[in-house]
Amino acid sequence: MGQIEWAMWANEQALASGLILITGGIVATAGRFTQWYFGAYSIVAGVFVCLLEYPRGKRKKGSTMERWGQKYMTSVVKLFGPLTRNYYVRAVLHLLLSVPAGFLLATILGTACLAIASGIYLLAAVRGEQWTPIEPKPRERPQIGGTIKQPPTNPPPRPPAEARKKPSDEEAAAAGGPPGGPQANPIPVTDEVV
Amino acid sequence: MLSAVTGLGSIESTVAKNLPVVSIHQLGLCLSRASASVLNLNCSLILLPMCRTLLAYFRGSQKVPSRRTRRLLDKSRTFHITCGVTICIFSGVHVAAHLVNALNFSVSYSEDFVELNAARYRNEDPRKLLFTTVPGLTGVCMVVVLFLMITASTYAIRVSNYDIFWYTHNLFFVFYMLLMLHVSGGLLKYQTNLDTHPPGCINLNRTSSQNISLPEYFSEHFREPFPEEFSKPEEFTQNTFVKICMEEPRFQANFPQTWLWISGPLCLYCAERLYRYIRSNKPVTIISVISHPSDVMEIRMVKENFKARPGQYIILHCPSVSALENHPFTLTMCPTETKATFGVHLKIVGDWTERFRDLLLPPSSQDTEILPFIQSRNYPKLYIDGPFGSPFEESLNYEVSLCVAGGIGVTPFASILNTLLDDWKPYKLRRLYFIWVCRDIQSFRWFADLLCMLHNKFWQENRPDYVNIQLYLSQTDGIQKIIGEKYHALNSRLFIGRPRWKLLFDEIAKYNRGKTVGVFCCGPNSLSKTLHKLSNQNNSYGTRFEYNKESFS
Repeated sequence: MGQIEWAMWANEQALASGLILITGGIVATAGRFTQWYFGAYSIVAGVFVCLLEYPRGKRKKGSTMERWGQKYMTSVVKLFGPLTRNYYVRAVLHLLLSVPAGFLLATILGTACLAIASGIYLLAAVRGEQWTPIEPKPRERPQIGGTIKQPPTNPPPRPPAEARKKPSDEEAAAAGGPPGGPQANPIPVTDEVV
Repeated sequence: MLSAVTGLGSIESTVAKNLPVVSIHQLGLCLSRASASVLNLNCSLILLPMCRTLLAYFRGSQKVPSRRTRRLLDKSRTFHITCGVTICIFSGVHVAAHLVNALNFSVSYSEDFVELNAARYRNEDPRKLLFTTVPGLTGVCMVVVLFLMITASTYAIRVSNYDIFWYTHNLFFVFYMLLMLHVSGGLLKYQTNLDTHPPGCINLNRTSSQNISLPEYFSEHFREPFPEEFSKPEEFTQNTFVKICMEEPRFQANFPQTWLWISGPLCLYCAERLYRYIRSNKPVTIISVISHPSDVMEIRMVKENFKARPGQYIILHCPSVSALENHPFTLTMCPTETKATFGVHLKIVGDWTERFRDLLLPPSSQDTEILPFIQSRNYPKLYIDGPFGSPFEESLNYEVSLCVAGGIGVTPFASILNTLLDDWKPYKLRRLYFIWVCRDIQSFRWFADLLCMLHNKFWQENRPDYVNIQLYLSQTDGIQKIIGEKYHALNSRLFIGRPRWKLLFDEIAKYNRGKTVGVFCCGPNSLSKTLHKLSNQNNSYGTRFEYNKESFS
C-alpha cells in the first residue's frame, strides 16, 4: 500500500467528473429547466476541468502511458508552473468549481464526483506528490563510425582482438580462433600457381 | 451484442405496453425502464466470468468436448469488461431518465391517483425527492460506488497501480446490496382491479374536466393495451368503448424483478469464494527455494490433495509479506501420480516479490544457488489458491503446437515440458515447436537442464522430431555466446537476434501440410500482436494456425 500513487487515480476521476459535468450541463440547458444558467456554468466548468486534467503526470517509478495527443496540452499546462504542479492548488480548485453545480438536479452528480476527485488530490498532495510533465525523450543519433578505431595491421588470417592485445590470455578467445600471435603454419605453404 | 438485443427488446415491450402517445413523461419512463432491464441482465452476467474455479472445472471436464467452446472460456475477462462498460453506459441513461422523471413527478402531481405519485405534494423539490426516498438515496450511492470502481479500472491504473483497482473493485459487494434495496422501494405499481375499474372508465361521481385528463396519468403496466381512441382527448366524447367505473382503482407494487436476475449469479459467486477460502486455508510446505540468475527464484512445495494440469496458475498469499495482497504465478511443475511436488518460478520485479525473496533467501546467501538445509525451518507461512485454468492447457490437445515464450513468459510452457518429460503418450500432441526469446543469456539457465533432459529422452525413444527447440538471444552486447559447456544441444540451437516470424511460419506450414497448428504466446504485447496477425494469414500449404490468447491485464 505504501507505494500507491494516488494522483493518477485522482486524475482519472477528475477527467470523468468533467465529462459528467458537461453531460449534466447539456441536459439542463437543453431541457430549459428552472435556473438553467447553472447548466451553462456546468458545461464551461466541465470543459475547463477536462482540458486541465487531460495531460497525465509522470509517475515516480516506471514508465507512464500518455494519452493520445496530450503533448499539446502538456505545454500549455506547464506554463502555469507551480499553480498546476502543486496538487493542493488543484484540490482546492476542484472543490470550488464543484460547488455551484450542486444547486441544480441535473448536475448534482458532477458535483459529487468532482468533490471526490478533489479529496483524492488532497491525499496525493499530503503525500508529497507533484505533477511533472512527460517530456519526449531526445532521439539518440546513432554514431556513425564510432566503433571503428583503426584498420587492422596484420593480413588475414587474424586472431581475435583479445588475443592480439594479450597474447598470454588464452581464455579470452570466445570465437575459438587460433591462439597466439601471427599464424604459424605447421606445414610449409607454398604458392602453387603455375 | 446480447445486451443490445435485450435492450431493444425491453424498449419495444415497454413502449407497446404504455400509451401510444409518447409525450415527455412517457419517454423518460420508457428509457428508464428499458435501461433498467438491460442493467438487470448485465449485473447478473458480469459475475459469471469471475467464477474462476467453475471455469477451470469446465475447461478440464469431459462435458465440454468441443475446442471452440473452450476457446470461449479464454475470453472471459474480455466478456467481464464488456459487461462492465455496458453497465456504465446504461447507468448513465437510467440516471438521466430518472432525473427527468423526478422533475415530472413533482410538477405533474396527480390528485386522482394519489398512490401512484412518487412525490408527496405538488411541486416538491426534486432534489428532496432524490435524497429522501429509498430508491433515490440508494441510486445516488450506487452511482458514487460505480464512479469509484470505473475510474480505478482503466487500463493505465491497472498497469501502474494494481492495488487501487483491486481494493476499489471489491466495492462491488456494496453495489449489489444497494441494488437489492434500490428496487425494493416499490415505486412501480400495477393496478389490481382492472375488471372493476378499467382504464379510461368514467367515474360518474366526478366532473367531466377531471375525466378528460385521465389519459395523461402515467400508471404503468396495464394488462391490456389501450385502444387507440382513448389517447386523444378531442375524440373522447365520440367513442363507444367507455365503461362505467364500479369502484376506485387499487394499486400494488410490482415484485422486484431484479432480485430474480441477480440472486442466482451472486449466490454462485459467493459459494465459489467460500469454497476457495476453505480450500486455501491450509498452508503449503515449502520443500526448497532455489535462486536462479537474472532475478528469478524457484519455490518447490507440497500440499495435500493438490491436483493441477499443466498450464494452470495459482495465486500465492503470504501474510508475513503483505496481509492483503495476492499474486498469481504460473505453475512450472505440476504434481504427478509419482511425485507430489509442484513449483513456481517468480521473477523479482516490484516490492512484494522483493520482500518475499528477502524472507525466503536471506541476503547473505542470495549468491549461492541452493539454500542450505538449516534455514528451511524458518520459512514463512504460504497459502495458495487455485489452480485456475488458462489457454495454455490447450497446447497438449493439438497435434502440432507452436509455443513462443518471451523472457519469464516461458513458465506455462515449462510445466508442459515437465509433463512431456514425465509421459508424452496420453496426449494428442505429436510435435512441439518451442521458441524462447530472451534478452540475457543467463536467463536460459532457468530451464536449460529441463530442455536438455527432454531432448535426450526423445533421442533415446527415437522420436527426435517431437520437440523442436529454438532459442533466441535478442540483445547481443554480451561476449558470452554459449549457455554453458554441458548444454551442447542448446548451444547449437541458440541464435543471435530476433526470430524472423514469417519464415518460421512458412517453414512450419510446409512441414505440417493441411494440419491445424495451435499457436501459443506468452510474452510482451507486441510479440503477441505479431503472432496473431501471422496466424490469421493464409498460406499456400493449407495449414491452419489457431491463435490462443491469454489476456493478462
